[in-house]
Amino acid sequence: MAAVKPRTILICALGGEGGGVLSEWITECAARVGLPAQATSVPGVAQRTGATSYYIELLPEPAPEGLEPIFALVPAAGRVDVLASSELLETARILERGFVSPDRTVLISSSSRVYTTMEKMQMGDGRFDDNRIHDAARGMSKTYHTLDLEQLASENGTVISATMFGALAGAGAFPWPRKICEEIIRQSKRGAAASLKGFNAAFARVAGTATPEPAAAEAKLPAAIPSDFSALPASSQEIIAHGIARVQDFQDREYADLYAARLRKLVKATGDVSDPRMSHALEEGARRLALWMAYEDIPRVAELKTRPARFERIRAESEMQPDQILKVTEYLKPGAEELADMLPVNIGARIMQRLEQGKSLPLMGRGMHLSTTSISGFLMLKLLASLRKIRRKSLRYGVEQKKIETWLDAMQSALQRSPEFAGALAELPRLLKGYGETHLRGKTNYAAVFDGIVTPAMKSGREATEASRLRRAISAALADPESAALGKLLMEKTVAV
Amino acid sequence: MEVSFTNEIKSLKLGEGETFHGEGILAVTKALLQSGVTYVGGYQGAPVSHLLDVMVQAKDLMGELGVHVEPCTNEASAAAMLGASIMYPVRGTVTWKSIVGTNVASDALSNLSSPGVMGGALIVVGEDYGEGASVIQERTHAFAMKSAMWLVDPRPNLPTIVNMVEKSFELSEASNSPVIMELRIRACHVRGSFKTKKNIAPRISARELQQEPAAFIYEKLAHPPVTYRHEKLKYEVRMPAARKFIVDNKLNELFDGKHGDVGIIVQGGIYNGLIRALQELGLADAYGRTDIPILALNVVYPLVPDEIVQFAAGRKAVVIVEEGQPEFIEHEINSILRRADVNTALHGKGVFQMAGEYTSEVILAGLAKVLAQYIPAIDISGAGAFAQEAAELRARATQLLQIPLPPRPPNFCIGCPERPVFAALKLAQQDIGKVHISTDIGCHALATYEPFGFGNSILGYGMSLASGAGVAGFSAKRPVAIMGDGGFWHNGLLSGVTSAMLNDRDRVLVIMKNGYTSATGTQDLVSSPESSSKQIAEGSSATGTEMTIENTLRGLGVKWLRTVHNYRVSDMRETLKDAITTKTGGLKVIVAEGECQLERQRRVKPMRAKAIAEGRRVVRTRYGVDEDTCTGDHSCIRLSGCPTLTVKPATDPLKTDPVAHVTNGCVGCGLCGENAHAATLCPSFFRADIISNPGPVDRAMAKLRGAVTGAA
Repeated sequence: MAAVKPRTILICALGGEGGGVLSEWITECAARVGLPAQATSVPGVAQRTGATSYYIELLPEPAPEGLEPIFALVPAAGRVDVLASSELLETARILERGFVSPDRTVLISSSSRVYTTMEKMQMGDGRFDDNRIHDAARGMSKTYHTLDLEQLASENGTVISATMFGALAGAGAFPWPRKICEEIIRQSKRGAAASLKGFNAAFARVAGTATPEPAAAEAKLPAAIPSDFSALPASSQEIIAHGIARVQDFQDREYADLYAARLRKLVKATGDVSDPRMSHALEEGARRLALWMAYEDIPRVAELKTRPARFERIRAESEMQPDQILKVTEYLKPGAEELADMLPVNIGARIMQRLEQGKSLPLMGRGMHLSTTSISGFLMLKLLASLRKIRRKSLRYGVEQKKIETWLDAMQSALQRSPEFAGALAELPRLLKGYGETHLRGKTNYAAVFDGIVTPAMKSGREATEASRLRRAISAALADPESAALGKLLMEKTVAV
Repeated sequence: MEVSFTNEIKSLKLGEGETFHGEGILAVTKALLQSGVTYVGGYQGAPVSHLLDVMVQAKDLMGELGVHVEPCTNEASAAAMLGASIMYPVRGTVTWKSIVGTNVASDALSNLSSPGVMGGALIVVGEDYGEGASVIQERTHAFAMKSAMWLVDPRPNLPTIVNMVEKSFELSEASNSPVIMELRIRACHVRGSFKTKKNIAPRISARELQQEPAAFIYEKLAHPPVTYRHEKLKYEVRMPAARKFIVDNKLNELFDGKHGDVGIIVQGGIYNGLIRALQELGLADAYGRTDIPILALNVVYPLVPDEIVQFAAGRKAVVIVEEGQPEFIEHEINSILRRADVNTALHGKGVFQMAGEYTSEVILAGLAKVLAQYIPAIDISGAGAFAQEAAELRARATQLLQIPLPPRPPNFCIGCPERPVFAALKLAQQDIGKVHISTDIGCHALATYEPFGFGNSILGYGMSLASGAGVAGFSAKRPVAIMGDGGFWHNGLLSGVTSAMLNDRDRVLVIMKNGYTSATGTQDLVSSPESSSKQIAEGSSATGTEMTIENTLRGLGVKWLRTVHNYRVSDMRETLKDAITTKTGGLKVIVAEGECQLERQRRVKPMRAKAIAEGRRVVRTRYGVDEDTCTGDHSCIRLSGCPTLTVKPATDPLKTDPVAHVTNGCVGCGLCGENAHAATLCPSFFRADIISNPGPVDRAMAKLRGAVTGAA
C-alpha cells in the first residue's frame, strides 16, 4: 500500500466567525499548488453563535494520474495533525473529544473567551477556569501555541478567521509557502488589506518573529496605609489600600478612619498572619468590609454616574472618534424603599411604615429616562449625589452600620477560634449585592445563613466543624435566584456533637 | 435572504470541460442544470437550503434556460409540484430537509409514486442525521420502501454526486418512478471539484411552452380502481426496470481486494468513513485501493438480488455497514441470500451499534471483530490500539479539565426581536405562575435553552397550537403556544388556528412576526415586508405595517387579537398576562411584531455607512453597563442571554465576581433598558447615542452641556 497519508486539519469556531471563509482559503491554496484537498463542516443551527467545526484533509503530494484520493469527512480521535480554535472553551471541548494527541497534534488556540450563557447567568462567578484549559492543552498536544487571536484581529481591523489563518501558517500547518496564503487572501472580495494585516500579525506571533510586548508596569497603591498594617502580607496591604480609598471616596476621611479602626480590630484578633488561612480570612474581611461600607445608595449611584471619567470610559468602550458627540440616557427606577433609605431616619421610617401598610408613594416605582449629558438631568443627579452630606443621618446608614458591627464581632471571635470559619464568614457579605428585589433577596439570604449557621455555631463553639457548611451555604445562596438550594441546605440537620 | 450567492452563480454558468469548485449541494444544483431540468421547487432547511436559494438568486440564468423555480410554503406543496412529471416528459426536482420534510410531503409522494412518472422526478433530501442535526433521528429509507421510490445514496465526492444526479433522472424515466437522493450533512457541505458539462435548456420549459394540456388518461390518476393496478406495476414492471438500469449503468461500484473471504457492502454515503477505518488497519491506501472487497451501494433501494448474490457467494462472510435504524438493507440482503440459498454468514447490526452516526471509529470497531473471526492472518491489533488511544485521550482530557464543560447551544442573535418576548414571558410567569408552553420549530425554539428554558413539548413545524389541544382539556391554567410566522404559514394556520376556531376553543397563541423564515436563512414568506415598506422603515422594524397575518386571523373570525411590538417588554408582559387570565373565551392571539434583526442590520449597515461617508448626521445607539455600580448579580443576563451582554473581570480590585458588560457589537435593540425597567433590575444600564457628523446645533448644545457636565 502507498505510504502517503493525508494531513488533517480541524478548525473550531463559533457560528458567524468566518470559519467557512477560512476553510475556503485553505482549499484554494491547495488548489493553487496542485494538492488534492477536501473541506467539510457541520454548520447547521450553529450559525446562530453555537459551537461549530470545519474539517480539512489534504495530500502533501499531487495524486498520481488516474487516482483520486478518498478523504474522510469526519475527524477521528487522535488523528488530527493541526487544530486551530478561535475560543478557549471550544479548545477544551475538542480536547474532551480526544482530537488532540501528544504524538501528532499542533494545537493553536486563541486565549480569548466568549462566555457561554451558562457561565454568564450565574449569580456569582460562573466562568470556567482558563488556566485549567491551558494546562490541559499544553499537556495533551505536541506543540501548543496560544495567543489572543480575537484581540489581534480587532487591532488589525479584521475578523478572527484572518488571524487564525496567519497562526496556522506561522505554525507550519500547510505544505506550501506563506506567499501562497497571501495571494489567496488578496483575491478576497472584501477587506483583503485588513485580512492580510491580521494574517501577518498572527503569523509573526506564532512563528516567533514578533517582538514581545513590554510587561505592564506595577500599579501604584491608591492610598497610604497606616503604619500599623505594614507587617501584613503585600496582597493584604494592597486590598487595604484600595479599601481605604474606596471608603473615603464614598464618604470622607473620617469614614475611612472608621474603616481602618474596624480593620485594626480584625488584625488584633488574627494573631499569626504568617498562617495563610489567617491572612486569607483577614484579606477577605478587609475586602468585604470596604465594599459593605461603601454600599450603593441613591447618592452613591448618582455620584458615580456624574463623574467626567465615566463619560471618558463610555467614549472609549464605544470606540468613539473625537468629533462624535455622545448623549447618555440613564434607566432609573428607584423604589420607595430606596428613597426611604437615603432620607433622615425619622422620615425614612415613616415612609417604610406607610409601605408596610400597603400604601405607595407618588412617582415611585416608575421607570425614568434621565439624560446625564443634558444640563437638567446632570444637575438633578448632582443634587441627589449631594445628599451624601446627610448620609450619616439616613435610615440605611444606621441599619448598615449596626449589621456591620454584628458581623465584625463575629469575625473577631471566629478569627480567634477557627481560621477556616473566619475565612468563610469573611466571604458571607458577598451575598449582599444588587438593587431592589435582588438586594432584598441578598439580605434575606444573608440573614438566613447568619441566623441558621453562624450564630448557632458560635454559641455552641463548633466553628471548626461548621466552616465547610458555611462555605457551602454561600455557594448555595448563589446557585439559584429562587434560593431553592440554600433552603435545602439550611433544612439539613447539623451533625450532632 | 441571508447569504449572497454571487460567486456561486458564476459556477452554475460553467460550460463544457471547465472545473467547478465548491460545496456538494451547489454541485447538485449545477448537475440539475446539466440534466436539463424544467422545474425546481422545495422548502428550505439545512443542509439543502442553498440548492434552492442559489436558484432563486440566479434569476437571469434560470430565465435564459427557461427553468421554473418555486420556493414553496411547505414540503407537501413542493412534492405536489412533481405531479407535472406524471403527464409530461419534463424533468423536475424538489428539495427539503429530511426526515421532517419527507413526513410533511408524504401524502403527495404516495399519490405521485402510485401512477408513476413519465419525466424524471428527483427529490433531493438533506439527511439530517448525526452530528449537527436539528431534527428527530429517523431514516428517509422507510419512505422510499413504502412508496416504491428509488433511494440514491452517492459516495460523498463531487464527481460521484454529480454523476448520480444525472443518472437519477435517467433511472426515474427508465422505471417510471420518482427517485430520492439522500445527502448527509457533511456531504452537502463538502468542498471539492468536478469537470462540468454545459447546461441544457429543457425542451419543454418556461421559454418553450407546451401549447396543449396532456390528454385525459384515467390510469395516470391516483384514484380507484387504477390504484390496484399501480401497486402491481410498482413491483412487476417498474422495479425490475430499475434494477436493470442500475446494473446496466453500473450505478453500484465494486472495489475488489485480495482478501476475498470477507466482503463489505456499504451505503455509498458512508464509504469514505469505511476507507478511513480500513486505512487504520493498513488494508486500504489514501486512494481507496482496498485489500477487502467492497460493494458500494450508490443506490440503496431497491437492491439488485443478482448483484448481492454474486458479491456474497463463495465468501465466508459479508459485512453490511448500514447507518441508522432499523437495518432495512440488512433485512433485505438477508432475504435475498436466503431465497438464493447462499449461506454466507451475514454481519451487520450484530457487530455495529444500532443507532447513531457511523464514524470511522465506529466502523473500525465492528469491522475488526468480523475480520478477526474469518481472516486470522490479518493483523487487527490496530483497531484495539486505536480504540484504546481514543479512550485514553478522552479520559485524560476529562481528568485534566476536571468538571463538565459548560455547553454552548445556539443562541438568539444580537438584538433578536424574539428574545424580549421570552423575557416578558418569564416576568409574566413570575406574576401569575407557570403555564404549559407548547413550543414549535424555528428560531424561537432557542428559548428552550438557558437563560429561558421554556417549552413542555415540540411536536413539529407549525404544530404548537394543535399540540396544546389535548393539554388544554385538563389544565387549570390556559396553555400558551408559541409559533413563528414561518410555522404559521407552513402548517400552523390550518392545523392549529382553524382547528381551534372550528371548536371555539379557549387557547392562547403567540405568533412571532419577524417577517421571514429566519432559522433557515431568512427566506421570504407570504407576509414578508415589501421592499417599499422596508424603505419606509429604514432602521426601524419593517414588519410593523405588514398585516397579512392579522388580516388572515380576522378573516377567520379571531376576535381577541393584539399586535404588540416585541421590544416593549412591559406591554408584552401585560398582554401575555391578560391573554392567559382574561375571562374572554375563544382563541386569543398575540402577534409579537419585530423584524428579524439580521435582515434589519443587513439593510441598516450599508445605509449608515453610506450616510456617514457622505457627511450626513447619523445616530448610532448602543447600551452599556456602568461597571462602578454593577454588583455582579447578573439578573440582567438571566432575562436576556444576548451575546453582547456578557461578563468581564471587574476592573475594581475589590470586586471578585465578574461584572456585566455590553460589548461594542450591541445593535441598540433596547431590550437591556426595557428589562431594567420592566423587572426593576438596577440603575447600571445606560443608553449611549453616538452622533456622527454632528450639525452646528449639536455642536453648540454639546459645548454648552459639556461646560456643565464635564463630559467631552
